[in-house]
Amino acid sequence: MTAALTLDGVNKRYGHFHAVRDLSFQVEKGSICGFLGPNGAGKTSTIRMILGLQPATSGRIEILGADDGRRVRNRIGFLPEERGLYKKMTPVDAIAFFGSLKGLPMGEGRKRARQMLEEQGLGASSRKKMKELSKGMAQKVQLISSVVHRPEFVILDEPFSGLDPVNQQGLEQMIRGLAADGATVLFSTHVMQHAERLCDKVVLLARGQKAFEGTVAEARATSRRFLELEGAIDPAACAALPGVTGVELVSDRDGVRVLKAALGQGGRGQDALKAAFLGGLDVRRFELREPSLHDAFIDLTGDNPDQDQSVKPTGVEAAR
Amino acid sequence: MNRTFLIARREYAAYAMTVGFWLSLLAFPLFAVLGGAVPILIKSSETVPAVALVEDGAATSGLAATVQDALAVETSRRRANALRQAAMAETQTTPDAGTEAADRVREIAESDGFDAGMAELRRVAPIAAAAWREPKPPITLAPAPAVVLAAAPGKARDDAARTYLSAGKKDRTVGAIVFLTRADGKPAARVWTARTNDDAVEDFVRDALKSANRREVFGASGVSPEVIVTSEQFRPQVTAYSPKASTGGEVSFRDRLPMLMGFMGGFLLWSLIITGASILLNSVMEEKSNKILEVLLSSASPTEILTGKVLGVAMLTLTMLLAWGGMGVGALAVFQPDYAAAVAEILIQGGMLAWFAAFMVGGYLMYAVLFAAIGAFCETPRDAQTLMGPIMMILTVPIMIMVMTMKTPDAPLVQILSWVPFFTPFLMVARLHSNPPLIELIGAMAGMFAFALLMVWLSGRAFRAGALSDVKLSWKSFGAAIKGGGN
Repeated sequence: MTAALTLDGVNKRYGHFHAVRDLSFQVEKGSICGFLGPNGAGKTSTIRMILGLQPATSGRIEILGADDGRRVRNRIGFLPEERGLYKKMTPVDAIAFFGSLKGLPMGEGRKRARQMLEEQGLGASSRKKMKELSKGMAQKVQLISSVVHRPEFVILDEPFSGLDPVNQQGLEQMIRGLAADGATVLFSTHVMQHAERLCDKVVLLARGQKAFEGTVAEARATSRRFLELEGAIDPAACAALPGVTGVELVSDRDGVRVLKAALGQGGRGQDALKAAFLGGLDVRRFELREPSLHDAFIDLTGDNPDQDQSVKPTGVEAAR
Repeated sequence: MNRTFLIARREYAAYAMTVGFWLSLLAFPLFAVLGGAVPILIKSSETVPAVALVEDGAATSGLAATVQDALAVETSRRRANALRQAAMAETQTTPDAGTEAADRVREIAESDGFDAGMAELRRVAPIAAAAWREPKPPITLAPAPAVVLAAAPGKARDDAARTYLSAGKKDRTVGAIVFLTRADGKPAARVWTARTNDDAVEDFVRDALKSANRREVFGASGVSPEVIVTSEQFRPQVTAYSPKASTGGEVSFRDRLPMLMGFMGGFLLWSLIITGASILLNSVMEEKSNKILEVLLSSASPTEILTGKVLGVAMLTLTMLLAWGGMGVGALAVFQPDYAAAVAEILIQGGMLAWFAAFMVGGYLMYAVLFAAIGAFCETPRDAQTLMGPIMMILTVPIMIMVMTMKTPDAPLVQILSWVPFFTPFLMVARLHSNPPLIELIGAMAGMFAFALLMVWLSGRAFRAGALSDVKLSWKSFGAAIKGGGN
């Protein structure tokens, strides 16, 4: 497959603050790529560099064959992290306006806007003003605005933030639809579940550095399986079970503990459990769990993706 | 379609399609009319103070009669002037001839009495004569309160007046008591008024006593009272001439029209530019706070966005100018067709319109890009206050200087400030009536356009930096943005 996006050794500095370090990855045409990391990991800076809104301090970025996102801006759709539309415009006018900026004739933009709003269940709201729409509705309108011109590459910065579960599901369907229509999708998120469900590939970012690039399955494979045990169990005794390479105390309520026992390479959960029962450990509940992307992220980076890593650049450095 | 044009069109439509815009468009001429009407309404609703005259002390006999005479003379003068004003209202459609006719009405009223003046008014301005209303006298005279008269002259009467005037309006018949006295043998007065800031009575009494003194002094020198009255009523015939007058001699109202138009043009330009630039500031701030600016930046370059917005608001400003200008021209054409022709001649043949347009373009560009760049750093008007406060203070300077330009358009201070690019558009338009040297006009304009281009470049850099920045606006951050530039 050919790459729709290539980053090669990209760095971004804001004065003394190093926001993105030596970042390299590729996104294949027609794929959905998750760009994952906690808040402040450097995702938005990277996206702005890809779009050409900010120059990279060093390194090379190529998108849709161009070395500057601005040259192919009409072929890109972008949904920023913090969203907003003209409050006094109707959804149809807003979508058509942003489409027209991307080269779509106004009349065609209006036609497509009505059709897409209808598909998203917003047909009845197409004549209302933006300020009269709910947040979920407004976000759908904004997403439609960013793809109405049928871009080849769609960049969505934290598209799920602020959406309720129903709208999140709807958005997931829209993203799948875009990819099915042949568009390449890169979306950033710090919520791993969306990436697990949607992505062909993920790029994990922590403190401005790439921690992983590959499929979700490959990411999970980097992490260890574990056995979750609950009961009045001594962590030291748990650590001595066969195949267990480490124990993490999840909770302790009046001596009843939840322990997470990591299984090493070749370690079998059945062997550990058998030894626990034979050894007389007070096991009241057990569960053998496959690692999630969330677990993989923690193992790969040592960070929790839900935690904020942001260090705000000072002055106008953010804009440079 | 060109992105700049699309942004400009949206910007224009966002404001022009609102009821608020058209209401504010009508508000300006409405307030201008109100501004002129309010002083007239206040004056017509003013109550005439009732005044009691008390001759207080030795050798004051006859002073009250002198004040009464002065009141009669002043009342006649006001009536004569009111006749002239009434005539002017109807005859001024023919600028100079109208003024002459109105002056003649006053002259007749002064020389042959009010009835003769009224007859002349009926002849030259029958509509105004039918609607005639008597002007208010400066004061009305009323009998002195008994409690005051009963008191002994001097301090006792002052105490009585104090007590009397301290009472509520309903409990007294006069608002002022004037004790007519003598100081060093000359007429003098102690004026007691119910309100401390009421100086109308004081002024009238002072003038009346001046007249009384004149009559006493001249009378003592053997001049008859009739001669004194005639000399007081004398009105000299003064005619102004200037080589710059349109006739090459006598100065007419037509010659003073450019001065008024220059001042009004400067003020109009100031209003338009500040209104346009403020709209732009608010528009950019709104897009910044709504996070629309980032979406726009992914679709268009900062230069396209800035140019589009500046162009859109320029069209809006032009709409305002055309609407206000249209209303003004329409009103002039309907009510004062002769003046309309004179105004058109000055605007077109005098070249004022062309200069106005050129200064408007440069001035708008200069302020619009500056305000837009400030807006790119702000999400609320409060954020913008750091820079807008000093800028607005600077902007009050041309307003003050423009008033000066009416009388002294070539004063050194005015000339120097005309070269300051921030003031050039307003001051040069206001000075156009004095026909400043062409080299000064072109030089100041060239300086203004050069500075405007510099502002476009600097503000463009600041706009690019501010659009994606979360930093709060300050002189330091704004300076750093200009220095650091955009992408």
